[in-house]
Amino acid sequence: MRMSKFETILAVVCLLLLSCVSHPDVPSSSKEAKCLPAIYPDYCDVTVPCNIAPLNFMLPADEYDECVARFTMSDGQQQTYGSGVKVQIPEDEWHAMLDASKGKSLKVEVWGHKNDEWLSFTPFEIHVAKEPIDEYVSYRLIEPSYVAWTFMEIAQRNLTSFEETQIFNNEITMNDRKIGQCINCHSYQNYKTDNMLFHVRLSNAATVLVSDGKVSKVNMKRDYTISSGVYPAWHPTAKLIAFSTNKTRQGFHTLNPNKIEVYDEASDLILYDVKTDSVSVICNDSSLLEVYPTWSPDGKYLYYCKSVPLPEEMRGKDIRTTYPKIQYNLYRRTFDVTSRKFGDEELVYDAASHNKSATLPRISPDGRYLLFAEGQYGCFHIRHADGDIVCMLLNVENPSRLDLSRFNSKGFADSYPSWSSNGHWIMTSSRRGDGNFSRIYISYFNNGRVEKAFMVPQEDPEQNTFRLKCYNRPEFMVEPVKISVNEFSKVFDK
Amino acid sequence: MKHFTIHCSLFTGKALCTLLFGVAVLLFFGLVYPHHLHYQEQYQLFLFDNSYVWEIVREPGGVADLLGRFCTQFFLYAWVGALIIALLLCSVQLLTLRLFNVQWLYGLSFVPSFLLWLFLLDENALLGGVWAVLLTLLAVGGIVCLPKGWTRCIFVLVAIPILYWVALGGNHYHRYPTAIPTLLYAAWLSAIVLPIAVRFLHRFQCSPQPSVLIPLASFALVAVVMGTFVWKNTNLKAEKVMQYDFMASHQQWNRILAIATAEKPNNQIGVTVQNLALAMHGQLADHLFDYNQNGIAGLLPEVQRDATSPMPTAEAFYQLGMIAIAQRTVFEAQEAILDFQKSGRCYKRLAQTNLILGSYEVARKYLMALKKTLFYRQWADETLPLLGDEEAIAKHPEYGRLRQMLCHENFYFGDHVTADMLESLFFSNTDNRVALEYLRAYYMLTGDRDRYAKLILHLQQQ
Repeated sequence: MRMSKFETILAVVCLLLLSCVSHPDVPSSSKEAKCLPAIYPDYCDVTVPCNIAPLNFMLPADEYDECVARFTMSDGQQQTYGSGVKVQIPEDEWHAMLDASKGKSLKVEVWGHKNDEWLSFTPFEIHVAKEPIDEYVSYRLIEPSYVAWTFMEIAQRNLTSFEETQIFNNEITMNDRKIGQCINCHSYQNYKTDNMLFHVRLSNAATVLVSDGKVSKVNMKRDYTISSGVYPAWHPTAKLIAFSTNKTRQGFHTLNPNKIEVYDEASDLILYDVKTDSVSVICNDSSLLEVYPTWSPDGKYLYYCKSVPLPEEMRGKDIRTTYPKIQYNLYRRTFDVTSRKFGDEELVYDAASHNKSATLPRISPDGRYLLFAEGQYGCFHIRHADGDIVCMLLNVENPSRLDLSRFNSKGFADSYPSWSSNGHWIMTSSRRGDGNFSRIYISYFNNGRVEKAFMVPQEDPEQNTFRLKCYNRPEFMVEPVKISVNEFSKVFDK
Repeated sequence: MKHFTIHCSLFTGKALCTLLFGVAVLLFFGLVYPHHLHYQEQYQLFLFDNSYVWEIVREPGGVADLLGRFCTQFFLYAWVGALIIALLLCSVQLLTLRLFNVQWLYGLSFVPSFLLWLFLLDENALLGGVWAVLLTLLAVGGIVCLPKGWTRCIFVLVAIPILYWVALGGNHYHRYPTAIPTLLYAAWLSAIVLPIAVRFLHRFQCSPQPSVLIPLASFALVAVVMGTFVWKNTNLKAEKVMQYDFMASHQQWNRILAIATAEKPNNQIGVTVQNLALAMHGQLADHLFDYNQNGIAGLLPEVQRDATSPMPTAEAFYQLGMIAIAQRTVFEAQEAILDFQKSGRCYKRLAQTNLILGSYEVARKYLMALKKTLFYRQWADETLPLLGDEEAIAKHPEYGRLRQMLCHENFYFGDHVTADMLESLFFSNTDNRVALEYLRAYYMLTGDRDRYAKLILHLQQQ
């Protein structure tokens, strides 16, 4: 049910009246700081969806002892928030403000108290887009690990609130803790969760597959494949999943700040038919590495990455010496869903000719744009400080890159890009906070224009400091996973 | 009057027995098992943080688990830990005794406590288990105190689910989640079953007259039998290994050398720590074969997937100036903690390695977490101002030195340290005498005479 403008204003007024007791007064006098506030997370002049959870923030606790923020809507209504150094806005009040500000902006004034005086900062705006964001995002929470890992979980977060629930964890079905269990690569068909999957590795290993809401476990390893399915991509309409199969290794730097190098010794592409439990090979060039499949939204193309041949003098050498020279280009093949036949390979983007390596392609829902991660070399840019997201128009000659400077970070890894289902929000997992613990950042995308990225808000902004986990593989979903952890675990009893 | 005197003597005798038991526990953990307590402390990180507490208490058995974790943080100081264990085990005995006051079987009141003592000999047994037994006894004791009738029935009905949530339903009483802590269950069961059995046997007691000797004799019998079990099950080998690890983590090089010279350790951790101490004293290459060796695996062993063995290796990497590898090794060790806990020792070292490598924001995150602890807070407060302060870091006796020792060349490291890496480390800074000691020892242990000779020649030409 949509609220009229009058009802919205009335609701906002009522909410403001009802909750005014907990709202602080703005300082009666203050010194002008003549700069934007150093709020964390940085929400100054960002564009947010009209349904996002409250953008709670804080001033640095080691510098300030109090913070007050005043939000002013376009019609002049105001509200203040602040407790200690944190600004935490009740969800109902925030959503009422957003509803009243769709397509407009909220003006935010911030005051910080330190050394017995109040400082007033330069006001900033939060622009409220008319377009909503998909209600859910799922990710894997894991320490920024090397080889060993401890508890990990695949979680789903309601982006319109702060609710976070577990989809699965690596404890419930782990039958040998010394071997451990890894869970990864959650993937959905068309942003919905009735057809989805994730992998369980090592102890009690299987791929957990949900088909029309029914859970099963499958093993995709065949004697003609390198491994079982690894990086998945659901076909948008058919019960087909493209996977890469990989022989993945990693090594560790002793000085390089990238710390870890993840590389494939071999990788191919396969197609898994959910209905028949059959596996067919898409491409398996033994001398080259094919990885990261993704479908066009109409399902008529399969995009993927493939390494370019190494220079003659480097072939056959230990990959520990050749890894900085391995670069990937983007390719695609046509696909006929009726015959299940793939067409010839077509080069989409020649990254290597720019001395770059392109990975993780994602096509916009309208099929017009290509988003991918790019770095100097290799296939695992979340471990590369130079990893950035690139966007360009598809199906045009010599496409230029869109300006993603407000989406990417400088000097920190940005990787795993994805599109919201309406194509207006792009998301990345980025280590920009500290170079180590990745967080999710989202930008508004409108007809090729990309606004400043904002970090997914948390109820307590300090949670980003104390949660020593990475947000892996963020994926948009239009609905939550409805199967509980226990229900998923029962598939291992069979 | 005679009865009164006997009662007084009995009371005093029982108090003395409890005291004697408590002192024995205290001395055992303080003198025989101190490093087991340090071991326990380093595999958890108790945070004074609402969400941390909530995450624990919301699980069945969470209150007992929380109390166990809270007490374990004091194990950083072994004698405090020993005192806590002694108090807990004495409390269990006294509460068991409250449930039956049958003189001639008095000694049986010590059985649950002795079983818990046996349980705690296992380095993976967690103190939450002791708390679970104690809380159960408190609840049962409360029920027994109530007058028979509806009040007691209602109390029982209310107490059972609460007790389940507080203690009975827990499964985090052993670090191996799949392990069945038989001794803990035996202690639990004995604390409840023994009083019932004793009350039943009381019917057959021949003499209603109290006596001092019989109860004390029953105590002596239980103490001798159970005490023998405790001693027989004491793992002194593990204690010794933990001692070497403890000494390395506290950089007690002189003490290590004194003990290693006397004992000539031949276990993996002992040899690694002994070699590190020798290197720190500049004696590794010269005295290498005065001690037991284990090839290059005794210098810098490969990182294994467990929480214990990588720690001394990580200390060696750290002291060598191989900070990134030390960081990885510590991280792997922490990730291998079987019950998914974090470690104060590991967090501290991760903060240090990130600080030395200039990853200040990562170091800050570990330090902010340590600020929420009781015993690492002060260190975190002292370290936080160093972040980003290049001058202060350069002047710092440890971090400044280790920064200068950093290798100038990037190596792509798997699990093996190679001679090339040690060479590069040494030639990046020839003041790095620890690297020189390890390099010489590496050549000696691998029998690489050519490279050893070249190195010596180079040193002579300097």
